[in-house]
Amino acid sequence: MASQDRLNTHLTAIKTVASHAANPTSLVRAENLSVSYGGNKVVHDVSFELGRGKSLALIGESGSGKSTIARAVLRLLPSGGHASGKVVFDGQDVLSLSERQFRPLRGRAIGFVPQDPGNSLNPVRTIGAQAMEAAALTDEPNASIRKELILETFAQVGLDNPQRVYDSYPHQLSGGMLQRVLIGLAVLPRPALLVADEPTSALDVTIQKRILDLLTRLQHDLDISLLLITHDLAIAAERADQLVVLKDGSVQEAGKTASVFSSPTSAYARKLHADVPALNPNRYAKLRDPGFRLLDGKTAKAPKIEVNSITKTFEVDGKVLTAVDDVSFAVPAGTTHALVGESGSGKTTTIRLLLGLDEPDTGSISVAGDDLAGRSQKDLRAVWRHLQLVYQNPFTSLDPTWTVERLVREPLDRFKIGTAAERTQQVREALTNVGLADHLLSRKPGALSGGQRQRVAIARSLVLKPDVIVLDEPTSALDVSVQADIVEVLLSLQAKLGLTYVFVSHDLALVRQLAHTVSVMQRGRIVEHGTVGDIFDNPSHAYTATLLESIPSGLSGDTSEAAHRRVSRAERKEAFA
Amino acid sequence: MSNAYLTYAAKRLGQAVVVILLAYVFTFVVVSILPGDPITSVLRNPQNGFSEQEIGEIIAAQGLDQPVLVQLWHSLSGFLTGDLGVSMRSNRPVSTLIAEVIPSTLILASSGLAVALFLAFAVAYGTQVLPKRYGQGLLRAFPSLFQSTPNFVIGLFLIHLFGFQLRLFRVIEPDSFWATLFAAITIGIPFSAQIAEVLIANLDHEAKQEYASVARSRGIGQRRLFTRHLLKPASLPVVTVIALTVGELLGNSLITETVFGRTGLGSLVQRSVSTQDLPVLQAIVSLGAVVFVLVNLIADLLYPLLDPRVKMVVGKKYRSTAAGEPSLDPTKAVNP
Repeated sequence: MASQDRLNTHLTAIKTVASHAANPTSLVRAENLSVSYGGNKVVHDVSFELGRGKSLALIGESGSGKSTIARAVLRLLPSGGHASGKVVFDGQDVLSLSERQFRPLRGRAIGFVPQDPGNSLNPVRTIGAQAMEAAALTDEPNASIRKELILETFAQVGLDNPQRVYDSYPHQLSGGMLQRVLIGLAVLPRPALLVADEPTSALDVTIQKRILDLLTRLQHDLDISLLLITHDLAIAAERADQLVVLKDGSVQEAGKTASVFSSPTSAYARKLHADVPALNPNRYAKLRDPGFRLLDGKTAKAPKIEVNSITKTFEVDGKVLTAVDDVSFAVPAGTTHALVGESGSGKTTTIRLLLGLDEPDTGSISVAGDDLAGRSQKDLRAVWRHLQLVYQNPFTSLDPTWTVERLVREPLDRFKIGTAAERTQQVREALTNVGLADHLLSRKPGALSGGQRQRVAIARSLVLKPDVIVLDEPTSALDVSVQADIVEVLLSLQAKLGLTYVFVSHDLALVRQLAHTVSVMQRGRIVEHGTVGDIFDNPSHAYTATLLESIPSGLSGDTSEAAHRRVSRAERKEAFA
Repeated sequence: MSNAYLTYAAKRLGQAVVVILLAYVFTFVVVSILPGDPITSVLRNPQNGFSEQEIGEIIAAQGLDQPVLVQLWHSLSGFLTGDLGVSMRSNRPVSTLIAEVIPSTLILASSGLAVALFLAFAVAYGTQVLPKRYGQGLLRAFPSLFQSTPNFVIGLFLIHLFGFQLRLFRVIEPDSFWATLFAAITIGIPFSAQIAEVLIANLDHEAKQEYASVARSRGIGQRRLFTRHLLKPASLPVVTVIALTVGELLGNSLITETVFGRTGLGSLVQRSVSTQDLPVLQAIVSLGAVVFVLVNLIADLLYPLLDPRVKMVVGKKYRSTAAGEPSLDPTKAVNP
């Protein structure tokens, strides 16, 4: 009985180190915080203030220094990193403390929720063993009460079988479950501050919403301050009281969410706002037009791609797993068909079958009227010439030791097309088509930005003059402003060359603007398909509706529209300059 | 022990038996096609003073007048039933000869391995836990220093310092505790360098992983981070290194035995090679193969126990149904 009381004390204890504080309103205050690696300064004089029980979002693209700031607050900078300025936590400048003095604050007063749940737990130890480390921070001497506390916390963060989770190894749980575990471990010692570094960027969109809801709920229930690091303006606006917009390590704009989000004053914040597809439903509509008319009118040609009830099963551990189950769709020439769904929905297997990398168990696939089934490797090569693929991640899909010229030229060499001079000419043409200058020809991927790399990848697929390009999440590894550039390149290429796209994505806001027709996939099946207008305006399947609801929308519909109207095209040009 | 693990173990064991048999046949073939005929070079050597009649008896007893395939058959069936044949030189059973020397070598090799593991883990601990200013860089230099020092130099140095100068042990009693300890240190030092090098590299790699940062964000200090988090995943490759270098350990024990004047497998090999005592050589080489295969078998069996992800291929998966969140795609299962 006594132990039950003690457990309850722990569970209800909202009092934290912070509650005895001198300053009742401010919990974290950064003053002229700078971080440098060697002589290289990556964060410049950043200041912000986070109140008790409040939330603040640091927003920026890769290289903006947002994660570095989070790590400076936690004093977990990688070796070589040095922070200067002040970070006052609960009246104490944590940067001036020694490691020994600071360590008691970690976990107890400042909790951390990492970015990639899949890599954030030790793979060879059970969840329970690692949870015990967090439970030890409560200073509860009784081990069985500590364990009870863990199980209660797991239940609190929405894990339905806490004991089973406790006994599992990390690889036995899904990403969403792992992130719940990590959030549980972070809040278990009842910290005053929770630092969440892109807590949902590795998760599917529906799970993202649930995790963010959980964070918001815990923040209010447990009276925790939340420092949220994100690249997604819509998420930040939805979840934080205050926003700090960062670029190249400097603050561009800061203030109350409502004002920064609806009437951004800095050029960068406006551009950031304009580039988020979810906030700008008509951003690319003009560019897409031609194909759309083609579909709506009676002029639609014979389908370029026809997929007829294909099924593919894999055997895993003696169990049969149906990865693709009776999937059919057709793509008219010159249009874009999107496959959307969460991880494990069968999108990737479907395009592997389409590209002839795997054979379907049953069903048929035809490209431009030619059946793909039963073709020899040699015949498949002929198909591949007209059917190209752009991979998801340009940081890993290009050989880092090759020059741009060699990378783009390789398909021509492989297919032995034209003379040497003609090949050089075609390489230049392809690069011009994707908007890359000739002087980049001798560069290696390491010397290119993410956007330039993805353009090289697109040029590489264009150089064979294909009719169909399969785009496997071509923008998901890129920053939102770079994503906008790539989408514009893709749309203008389609208009110019009449390309047919098969577009795989989980970003519904982008799909809505880019695609003409959509298939929504769930557990290997197409649950709904139709034109973009039909699916997005009147989803008939519950799963589609869930997906649509999960798109973070910023504040509310009308403010984002209002903000959108304020960002004219001219202003956007100015932001680029 | 799950059924899956037992199936896995049985399969590995079967493979090991096949490898040992092949190794035996291979050794037999190599030894029999080597240049030089033991009959001419050893038996007819006037120094040995065998009469023609004795030579004839030895040839008949060893079956050397039979075709090679028949000899192989006799030899292999003997090996399988535990009969290793009779030494050509001393006319004693090979198994007796080996049994006489093997305890000494086993003691040396296993204590050498223990010393190596101790040194390697101590150095690795220092590189992760000691603050930078307390000579962490120096510790990191140890593996390459140890690895580049020849085994016999270390042995001679230790004998000189502890045997002759400090008189900690009597050099003429090579089987005493202290003499054995220093022989073990001699054999262990270069071996520890190989283990330490892999271990430190892996610890550095693991320390950079996100889970290490996250563990530190829970207030874990360097020492607990090392013992609770980094050590186990970083030790996995060490198992492989040990398995692969165990042959080297046997080879090194040969040199060390000579330096310290111990009788062991090393001296037996040396004698048998110089006298071309084929049955003894065949037995020792096959024994080496058996040890090598066994150690690798143990490594294979240890892996799934140390890393739960290895079981993934055969183990049961945990699916959350009520939460509706898809669990890991089984086709992406990690199997390092």
